[in-house]
Amino acid sequence: MTTLMSEAPEIREQDLVPQRPWSKRPTSFWLAALLGTAVPLSFAGVLYFTTEIAAPLLLIVVYLPLQLVSAGVAGYVAKGKHGILDSGLIVFAIGSTILSAVILGSMLATIIARGFEALRPSFIFQNSVYISPSTPLDYGGVGHAIVGTFLIVGIATIISVPLGIASAVYVTEIRGRAVPYVRFFVQAMSGVPSVVAGLFVLTVFILTGVMRQSALAGAIAYAILMLPTVARTAEEVLRLVPEDLRTGALALGSTRSRVVFNVVLPAARTGVITAMLLGVARVVGETAPLLLTALKNDQTVVNPFSDPISALPTFIFDNVAQPYPDAVTRAWGAALVLMVIVAVLFTLTRLLSGRNSMNK
Amino acid sequence: MAAETPLRDLSNSKKANRADRAFSRVITGAAFTSLIILAGITIFLGAKAVPVIQDQGLSFLTTTVWDTIGVPPEYGIAGMLYGSILLAVIALVIAVPVSIFLAVFMVFIAPTRVSKFLTNLVDLMAAIPSVIIGLWAFYVLVPPAQEWQSLLNQYLGWIPIFANESGNFTGTPFIAGVVLAIMMIPIVTSVTSEVLKRTPPELINAAESLGCSMWTMLRYVALPFGRGGIVGGVMLGLGRALGETIAVFFVLKIVFDINFFNIIESGGGSVATLIVSKFGETSGDFEVDVLLAAGFFLFLMTLVVNMLANLIVRRTERLKS
Repeated sequence: MTTLMSEAPEIREQDLVPQRPWSKRPTSFWLAALLGTAVPLSFAGVLYFTTEIAAPLLLIVVYLPLQLVSAGVAGYVAKGKHGILDSGLIVFAIGSTILSAVILGSMLATIIARGFEALRPSFIFQNSVYISPSTPLDYGGVGHAIVGTFLIVGIATIISVPLGIASAVYVTEIRGRAVPYVRFFVQAMSGVPSVVAGLFVLTVFILTGVMRQSALAGAIAYAILMLPTVARTAEEVLRLVPEDLRTGALALGSTRSRVVFNVVLPAARTGVITAMLLGVARVVGETAPLLLTALKNDQTVVNPFSDPISALPTFIFDNVAQPYPDAVTRAWGAALVLMVIVAVLFTLTRLLSGRNSMNK
Repeated sequence: MAAETPLRDLSNSKKANRADRAFSRVITGAAFTSLIILAGITIFLGAKAVPVIQDQGLSFLTTTVWDTIGVPPEYGIAGMLYGSILLAVIALVIAVPVSIFLAVFMVFIAPTRVSKFLTNLVDLMAAIPSVIIGLWAFYVLVPPAQEWQSLLNQYLGWIPIFANESGNFTGTPFIAGVVLAIMMIPIVTSVTSEVLKRTPPELINAAESLGCSMWTMLRYVALPFGRGGIVGGVMLGLGRALGETIAVFFVLKIVFDINFFNIIESGGGSVATLIVSKFGETSGDFEVDVLLAAGFFLFLMTLVVNMLANLIVRRTERLKS
């Protein structure tokens, strides 16, 4: 009896209801799509190499209409009248996808290609004291800016992560009367432009003389931008903690703070780390607040209270529009370093959230 | 959520109760940080805006001159406010169709693996810092964009918005709008694809079995179902476009006269960029105050857009549940 049971094919509900009914396409569809693309593409290609017509003109005036017509014909042959609109939809959808991919690819390719021209050990480890925009690339680097970025982001994390988690804990654990308002204000805060965060710190702390333009001032501005990201992500992950864990802990006589610190937060550990990393990724490239609150400095600064300080974004900003090619190459090099940091954060959040969802 | 009621504390110990109450209070206090900061921004920047408004009256919002040290000083941000909105509109016109088509491709057309890859691609695009986008735009996008604009002018110059008399195609609102569109596409796309993914499969199956084509299914099922979410996502992107500073700084030439609609003529405005570009060269404390006042109006503008976006998103979410 048991063997019979195990041999019988298991029928799950997802097999009965097609999950993506629209994704089943016959081979003829892909054949038509291939043919419908190859013909106008080769025609435009021939025109591009034989005539003098400018490429963007060729793309929009010749290729796109031809592509639409040929896809329309292919759609008509495959599906009849309805196929014509569908084919137009598919042409624009694929076109938009290619456009976005080309933009991202172009960004990454230029950052890597131009960034490597500047990259060498001295570029990573030295600061920019005595370096003018025309100094050759063998001298000076972004060491001070890397230190600055880590210092500012580190302080901002220390400020904003506890506050963000507290606000998430309020929404998911305390569940007081103000929950809708707290959520609303966190949402509204996520729309604060970065330059306004900088202006706020400028008026409250710097113009009043409480502190100088320094890493701490920059970190407060960063923390304002980080807080909503951390709070919203943390709220989402705390929601995923099963209710049974909470009631179980309470039934054993735990206090509410014990439930939060010993049960809920440990259970959502990876999610909370993800929230922190997303917050860091949100601010690590912000430039405008630092221009107002941290200014710049060619020396390596480790004291967060005393001196103006450079970070990678402000270093890039200072070097972009310089008329000296070496300064511009430095900007690309700093962009590469910044992009590597962003990519590491991006990959870490992906890995962590992937593991998170596997546990469930 | 199963239990929306406050979890009751079942512990009897008095000491534990007191500690717990303190814990609740601390957490509740911390939860209001965002309110405190929003109020702080309004109060402190608003206080700085008051003397400026007293000095210039409402003409602060309608003047197109920038002379803070003249006698009497005369200045206003009309060109900047209008410029910010113009840039946002250009960005919307480009980014919204591209994002919606991209989201449709990800959700309904692409094979699952391609769709996952595209989701990562869009998220990565959203993660690129704006200063790097500005750097890329300045050196990679602007040279060909000048050529596109001169072509536009050559063939469509008789339409007023594509007129250009100076022959100078750098620093135009069009380029700045394209850069903002590039920054909006990942935001709008990820919201739209999330919304489209939530279309109930029963509805799609029903449409398919009635013989709807994909276009008809989108037009009458998926898009109406996700309309609120898509509008909300577009407005979130709009809020970002209005507040964007650095990327615009590199590609737009700031001029104080209002550039009404000549989008491929050099010169435009943006409140956020004005603040950063003037801050480095301020002539005294008074000009800083004026910039703070400009920041106050920028804050109000983005706050309203963002709140509207959230209300729309939330209302549609409530209607569905």
